[in-house]
Amino acid sequence: MLDISLRKRLPGFNVEVDLSVDEELLVLFGPSGAGKSLVLKMISGIVEPDAGRVAVANETLFDSGIGVNLPMRMRKVGHLFQDYALFPHMTVSENIAYGIGGGNKDEARKKVGELITVMRLSGLEKRYPQELSGGQKQRTALARTLAAGPRVLLLDEPFSALDYQVREKLRADLLNIHRIYPITTVLVTHDLEEAFMLGKRIAVINNGTIEQAGTQEDVFYRPLTRNVARFMGVRNIFSGKVAALEGAHLVIDNPDIGMVKAPLPPGPALSPGTEVSFCIRPEEILVIRPDRVLGKVQDNILECMITGTVGRGLTTYSTWTAGGQYRQRRSFQFCA
Amino acid sequence: MDLFPLYITVKVSLTATVITVAVGLVLAWVMAKREFFGKSIVDVVIMQPLVIPPTVLGYYLLVAFGKSSWLGQFLSDGLGIELVFTWKGAVIAAFISSLPLFVKPARAALEGVGSELEDAARLLGKTELQVITTITLPLAWRGLFAGAVMAFARATGEFGATLMIAGNIPGLTQTLPIAIYDAVQAGDYATANLLVGIITLFSFTVLFIAGRFSRVRF
Repeated sequence: MLDISLRKRLPGFNVEVDLSVDEELLVLFGPSGAGKSLVLKMISGIVEPDAGRVAVANETLFDSGIGVNLPMRMRKVGHLFQDYALFPHMTVSENIAYGIGGGNKDEARKKVGELITVMRLSGLEKRYPQELSGGQKQRTALARTLAAGPRVLLLDEPFSALDYQVREKLRADLLNIHRIYPITTVLVTHDLEEAFMLGKRIAVINNGTIEQAGTQEDVFYRPLTRNVARFMGVRNIFSGKVAALEGAHLVIDNPDIGMVKAPLPPGPALSPGTEVSFCIRPEEILVIRPDRVLGKVQDNILECMITGTVGRGLTTYSTWTAGGQYRQRRSFQFCA
Repeated sequence: MDLFPLYITVKVSLTATVITVAVGLVLAWVMAKREFFGKSIVDVVIMQPLVIPPTVLGYYLLVAFGKSSWLGQFLSDGLGIELVFTWKGAVIAAFISSLPLFVKPARAALEGVGSELEDAARLLGKTELQVITTITLPLAWRGLFAGAVMAFARATGEFGATLMIAGNIPGLTQTLPIAIYDAVQAGDYATANLLVGIITLFSFTVLFIAGRFSRVRF
């Protein structure tokens, strides 16, 4: 269990993060420069927050209110750096054994052996970091971090330095390892695919603040802010005013598109006149030819004109111009 | 052939190098790893002996450690250490003038050990001292060794400041460089040639060793 509340003022950038993580793998997702790594550094103590609190399982690691700031070595926080920070003058086993405390050499050796097996590093024990591949380095670093018996695991873009193929394999490895060592874990990434593969719960950070934290489904299908929607790959985001409330739906007025019906979002109640953003995922747009009879579909029907198609991998994006009588110039994209 | 200058030179340089490395290591570490007010001024002060004329440096030392200064009186009356016109004075001169030659490469070597590696060690439960002995020093030792060799070479060749504070007393404070000067002044070219040969050979060896070790391996 990890509880954080962090405040840090930097030139032109403020971090304001409150988050609670159970014995789970939480993905901290956000664009570059959102403050993801900084949050991890404040948890592990590399960077001192201006104010706030960091607590692991009811032990306070940092609390500006009561003047607690545990030194890094006493925090028992495992921090996997983006480029692994392996000690270049030590072999794989020496690196792994480095953080094992206590005087019992046999036990330490056993632990190192176990981690070498779990991390598929057998045969590489005597190699130096510069003689390892990217994936092997990453697994060595993870083994070294786990060997010290951390209560919290922080992973800073652990796959960013690896090839695509290696990445796939190692993501699966990581989930496996997290099953074997179920430690509260925070994984930082700017890769959406990675976020969804690894985190049941995702916290979306932007510009130093958490814009939404929730389950995969929540974040993906019910983004709370325009930015979260944008990060989730939604391409059609519009602004409008609430025109009316109809039970579980609300009607939004957009000057270009017209009246649009949308399900009521969670959170505080909305009243007519409120400015809102609304969006639709490309794959949720249904294209109906003009000569087809409209069946059950009655809401949100727009007349559009295809202005172009853009191939993009397996998905084809078409740009449409929407509006009652093609009078509008606003365009949006969807998947056809 | 009087080989006393060779003996006293080795004695003075080795002693000075030990002090230089001990003091310089602390200075280099502080300069490399800590931020504090007035750091750039401290840097300028440490580097002074590189640019200041050795005779001026010797004059400073003479004033600082002479009988009329409180420091000189404290050392002589309190601790019984006489610096002026003794081999210990030559050690001080060699130490001060070789200090920047050690601190500069040592600082670079210590800075070269990234803070991320040290943070990784701290996060694995290590104390500051453990971080220094198991991570920082092992990774920086080549640069430190090269710096020590350079400092030793500088100490061996010290002339101006040594002459000012330790004087030129044959059999007591006359080091190799001073003996060479003396021999040339006296027209004793046989001695001068021999001593010059020794110093030249030594300098070549030192640069060769320093070059081999300063190559970064990690």
